[in-house]
Amino acid sequence: MHCHSEAPLLDPDAPVVLVGHPNVGKSALFGALTGRYVEVSNFPGTTVEVSQGKVDGVPPLKGVPVIDTPGVQSLHAHSDDERVTRNILLSRPPRVVVQVADARNLRRSLLLTLQLAELGHPFLLDLNMSDEARARGIVLDTPRLAQVLGADIVETVAIRRLGVDDLRARFDVARPMGYRIHYDGAIENAVARIAEWLSPNLTEARAIALMCLAGDDDLAARYGGEQAETIREVVAETAVRYTQPLSYVITQQRLRCVDCLLAQIIHQSPQAGPTWAERFGRVAVHPIWGWPILAAVLIGLYLFVGQLGAGVLVGWMEGVVFGKWIVPIAVRLVNLIPFPLVVDLFVGEYGLITMALTYGIAIVMPIVLTFFLAFGILEDSGYLPRLAVMMDRPFKAMGLNGKAVLPMVLGLGCDTMATLTTRILETRKDRVMVTLLLALGVPCSAQLGVLLGMIAFLPPSAVVLWGAVVAGTMFVVGWLAARVIPGKRSDFILELPPIRVPQVGNILIKTVARLEWYLKEVLPLFVLGTLILFALNKTGALHTLERWAAPLVQGGLGLPPETTGAFIIGFLRRDYGAAGFFTLARAGQLNATQLVISLVVITLFVPCIANVLVIVKEHGWKTAVGVAAFVFPFAFGVGAALNWVFRMLGVAF
Amino acid sequence: MNCPLCGYEFDETAMTCASACPMAAVQGCNLVCCPNCGYQMVDERKSGLAQLLRRALKVVGREQRSTGQEQK
Repeated sequence: MHCHSEAPLLDPDAPVVLVGHPNVGKSALFGALTGRYVEVSNFPGTTVEVSQGKVDGVPPLKGVPVIDTPGVQSLHAHSDDERVTRNILLSRPPRVVVQVADARNLRRSLLLTLQLAELGHPFLLDLNMSDEARARGIVLDTPRLAQVLGADIVETVAIRRLGVDDLRARFDVARPMGYRIHYDGAIENAVARIAEWLSPNLTEARAIALMCLAGDDDLAARYGGEQAETIREVVAETAVRYTQPLSYVITQQRLRCVDCLLAQIIHQSPQAGPTWAERFGRVAVHPIWGWPILAAVLIGLYLFVGQLGAGVLVGWMEGVVFGKWIVPIAVRLVNLIPFPLVVDLFVGEYGLITMALTYGIAIVMPIVLTFFLAFGILEDSGYLPRLAVMMDRPFKAMGLNGKAVLPMVLGLGCDTMATLTTRILETRKDRVMVTLLLALGVPCSAQLGVLLGMIAFLPPSAVVLWGAVVAGTMFVVGWLAARVIPGKRSDFILELPPIRVPQVGNILIKTVARLEWYLKEVLPLFVLGTLILFALNKTGALHTLERWAAPLVQGGLGLPPETTGAFIIGFLRRDYGAAGFFTLARAGQLNATQLVISLVVITLFVPCIANVLVIVKEHGWKTAVGVAAFVFPFAFGVGAALNWVFRMLGVAF
Repeated sequence: MNCPLCGYEFDETAMTCASACPMAAVQGCNLVCCPNCGYQMVDERKSGLAQLLRRALKVVGREQRSTGQEQK
């Protein structure tokens, strides 16, 4: 059954609201509509940023407000972004809702279209990236789609501003979409009962009723009192009629309508089949074939960073650049200073040049350089999100849900910032658990690079053991934490960009930018760590600490006393501590078995001092102390247990 | 720009990293965080080396194109 409405009277301040999935070109369209002047502000009561501007053009549309809502998967609000978009659409009648849809992926877009239809607002469908759709051989019968939907459709290529004028010209003549889905009897009955309790003239009553049925408790709670109670009762009564959750049932019924629509309008040209990139992209997330691909990528990463970075480049930087040039020249120059303490400060055992700069530039920089290069390839090729999808599965087994994977993977960038992004997680359970696991076992990209570089010195069996211990530790802790910290899981939704050949220029620019960021962030901490060790050494406190730590470091972990210094600087930054072990290993002071133990312990350390301070800021002192009080003894405990097992079983690498 | 992890399209000029990180307080944070998933990318606009490289690559690209045109 279709119904048509006349275009409503126009409020001059009513905004144009842009809605759509992520990655469909909304921002490009927003930019094309508004020109340069944009105001970005947080939606009240949230940390979600919303862009607002005014239409740039000729009257009467010039100066009309435009709101670019956050990209959403649906109007069933599961995240802050979806709540904000929903609230913007419900807060005041818009001039027009413009859904920006990806013309290459219409099935997903039309699912959102049908939800927007239920709101009853004036509506335009913008089929963006229409040039790319045609290039793929996708031919859309746009007039037919417009006729069936009962709405105007405009094809655009927003980044080139094609079609934008045509779209703009239709803002004031847009009408509510004529198409309405008929759900099954039980749902339609529930919608009617809920809508009865809402304001009788409410245009969005049907949409609100369906959102409540789909589990939007937040929306139902807004009505308060008897209304909210009635809505909940209707939802509960309807839910028991189905074996699946209502949100799933409603979505399935919408999808059936979408598929009917598509069958009428899409004609794929026979020559256009899936490209190699599309085929690879699908296989890369296959539940079975995705794993060998993931393993191959990780092995490739390990070889690239471990062999090229830690082997060849570090050997050259440390042996030639620093070993034959920089350090000897620095020693000669600094020895001219008549103060032995100052000489020691620069070129002594814990000298700023001989330790801080050597570690930071000769040892760590080549490794992170190769790591950043490899990471840039993963990003630019489009494989990185697929890696996240594959990692979602074991993390789910840990008791973490999909969305919590993102900060875990993000820890590869910077654990400190990843701790901040736990804000995107819906439940406190997930936020605290991910914070703990980030602090425990996820090295940041630079640390991971250094660890990979150190692993290159180990036989494959030791590498497997290290990976198994770290992954196993995280699994156990995550599983236990999931049972200890109450709460419910949230959903994981990830946009998968197309697989493409990485652009060399893009990768080089990203790598250089990351390297500059890393050096600016890390070198000051390396200098600080060296100064601390220098002071401890000069005062004799280092020797005292080594004696105190001997029962743990030598007795428990089976490591030489020199590693105490590496653990001390490891408190500041894990990669600095790892670099210390790296140097000891290259000097032959750590055998392979000891290197495995030290690697396991340093991997499980809290990442860096900045991370601890951010945990304080995000979760409070108690949580930060709790995390540190757990992580450090746990890391040493795992190392000690490993040492004991190795001794008992006579394992030596 | 598009987030390389979640594909979310956002305007990086409107993004400033939420600098709760103490390192940011000391020297400024050069990271851009995706507003959808929080993935960190380095803000290339703040990287002097990246800007230099970008200009150098543009120059190389222009020279290659003009060489190609001359050969034609």
